[in-house]
Amino acid sequence: MIYFYDGTKEAFLTAFLLAYPDEEAVLVSGTRQLSVGQSTVFVRSDPDRARRAEARLKELDRDGLKELDLLLRSGQEDRDTVAFEYFRLIAARGCPVRKMLAEDAVFAAMECIRRVEFEVHRFHGFLRFMESASGALYAPFAPDNDICDLILPHFRTRLAPLPFVIHDVGRKKAAVFDGDHVFTAPLEKAELALSSDEEGWQELWKHYYKSVNIPSRERLKQMRGYMPVRYWKFMPEK
Amino acid sequence: MTNAPRAWYNMVMIDAEKLKVLTESAKYDVSCSSSGSARKNEGGIGNGYIAGCCHSFTPDGRCISLLKILLSNDCIFNCKYCMSRSDADVPRMTATPEEICELTIDFYKRNYIEGLFLSSAVVKSPDFAMEQLLLTVKKLRTEYKFCGYIHLKGIPRADPLLVHEAAKYADRMSYNIELPTEKSLKLLAPQKSRESLLLPMKQLQRERKIFCEEKRKGHFLPAGQTTQLIVGASPEPDGQILRLTQGLYRQTGLKRVYYSSYVPVVHDPLLPETAAGSMREHRLYQADWLLRFYGFDAEEIVEDDGNLSLDFDPKCAWALRNLQLFPVEVNRAPLEVLLRVPGIGARSAYRIMEARKYTRLTFEDLKKMRVVLKRARHFITANGKFFGAESKKSIRGAITAGEKREGAVQLSLFSDRETALSALTGEL
Ligand code: SF4
Repeated sequence: MIYFYDGTKEAFLTAFLLAYPDEEAVLVSGTRQLSVGQSTVFVRSDPDRARRAEARLKELDRDGLKELDLLLRSGQEDRDTVAFEYFRLIAARGCPVRKMLAEDAVFAAMECIRRVEFEVHRFHGFLRFMESASGALYAPFAPDNDICDLILPHFRTRLAPLPFVIHDVGRKKAAVFDGDHVFTAPLEKAELALSSDEEGWQELWKHYYKSVNIPSRERLKQMRGYMPVRYWKFMPEK
Repeated sequence: MTNAPRAWYNMVMIDAEKLKVLTESAKYDVSCSSSGSARKNEGGIGNGYIAGCCHSFTPDGRCISLLKILLSNDCIFNCKYCMSRSDADVPRMTATPEEICELTIDFYKRNYIEGLFLSSAVVKSPDFAMEQLLLTVKKLRTEYKFCGYIHLKGIPRADPLLVHEAAKYADRMSYNIELPTEKSLKLLAPQKSRESLLLPMKQLQRERKIFCEEKRKGHFLPAGQTTQLIVGASPEPDGQILRLTQGLYRQTGLKRVYYSSYVPVVHDPLLPETAAGSMREHRLYQADWLLRFYGFDAEEIVEDDGNLSLDFDPKCAWALRNLQLFPVEVNRAPLEVLLRVPGIGARSAYRIMEARKYTRLTFEDLKKMRVVLKRARHFITANGKFFGAESKKSIRGAITAGEKREGAVQLSLFSDRETALSALTGEL
């Protein structure tokens, strides 16, 4: 049976409770294509059921729900299955399993989490802000995983009191620090008037990028390995 | 930093040509690490990032973490290998402290950089140059309230008081030893001497110790000191270089030694015409890694007057010389031993240590855990089973064949100096 849910934590927990006894359960969310012919249940999130599942999982593994949050943020195609199999194993064993790396389900879940966390770390470096006429900073990006609110705290400690917006243009949402408060909000397109010398600094950055390179030692493959091409779109130097 | 517009803002945007000249001459300093400082944002802009952070990568595969720039390239010294040396015919430029400060702040708040790596040619005199550097970092910290990372390269032969002052504002300082022996130094950098480089390093080490012991207020080089050696400009073998490195780690408490393979930017009869191979530099970094994290001694890795093998990485070469110690059983071997198995790095060793608490690991399990077995299988047993080649000769053969095919991939994996791996292995 395929269990289709909306990708939220509450719906996942509801679906988990329903699907757990089903040996052949597959969890699916979001925009993934469902193949015709497979029997599908559409799971509507149920706060009561979700709370029960949450309480039970918490008993078995205190830190598991933090991992669930990260797993559901993954942009990986099979993240729902990965999360489901991982929590199914926790439920089956009745204890934390995260260190049993020889188990396929555990390894897959840990890798999936590692990729989300690694992307957070990467964007601490690769995010690029531009300065608006009002002095607020704006950074568009298109991450693989749903992380805009996860990278915000780093910039808040670093840049405060400057207000800034981190815009996930793919998911059409933004994490915002308005100078006092932090929140996330849907955001389709940002209207932006740049400060008068924004362009000047971008130009200088491009000059710098070019000058600091040592052309006789070109290693493009290595560069692309560290800084994947799909991230370049929002980096002025590329 | 406040949101209020600054009227004098545009006045100090550095000229593009000047930026170019001052960057071009700074870029051969390979250190770009921004790790080791947990400096807090104290009401200004910026903070430290203990593990370090890469902001971009250039086509040569190097990471950009810090804005690497000279305050001036107008030098009275005449180091043969340097494009800023006094008798070189190049345009001379000097930036003002304000230009550097503005550039740093504006790059930083756009998240282009993690901080500043500032050095300078010996402009006018060692004291004058050092004063200018001090003035700049002090301004950046106190007037611009910059709390991000600052790496300052010291000027040899400058007044110890200036050196001491500068250390209060910088996160890290470095004096580059550049050449592994006094003899080569004399020949190629006649105004420097081993002593002029080691004295300030020792002074800073001493002062930092006192600072920490007395728990004084403020900061004093939270990220410590580093140095750099140029490889291939002078004839010293790897053995000598690694022994020097080991001595520096053990005696002066240096955080890192960087190796820069020589790039001929100037022609001089005393210097080689060709660049040192990047493979040699790569092998030195691997050996350095073994010294710092894997519990090896320089003497185990390479003989005094010998060079590192270009065919095998240093751990592999060591294991091949010591086959009597292998194979080891992955379910029993302690961490130090696992780390000595070719092909098993810190991450794999950690995974093995964790996973074997729950089950007796087989080769299948290791594969599932993505432990790379191509080389390791010749040196381990898993649950009593051995899948490696039987004789030393066939092991060598099997490993070299693999290396040739994977040369490119491997290089990119291991020459990774500042990114994710560094956090994992506890680099500071
Ligand atoms: S002191 Fe030597 S290495 Fe430094 S800038 Fe002057 S000539 Fe170059």
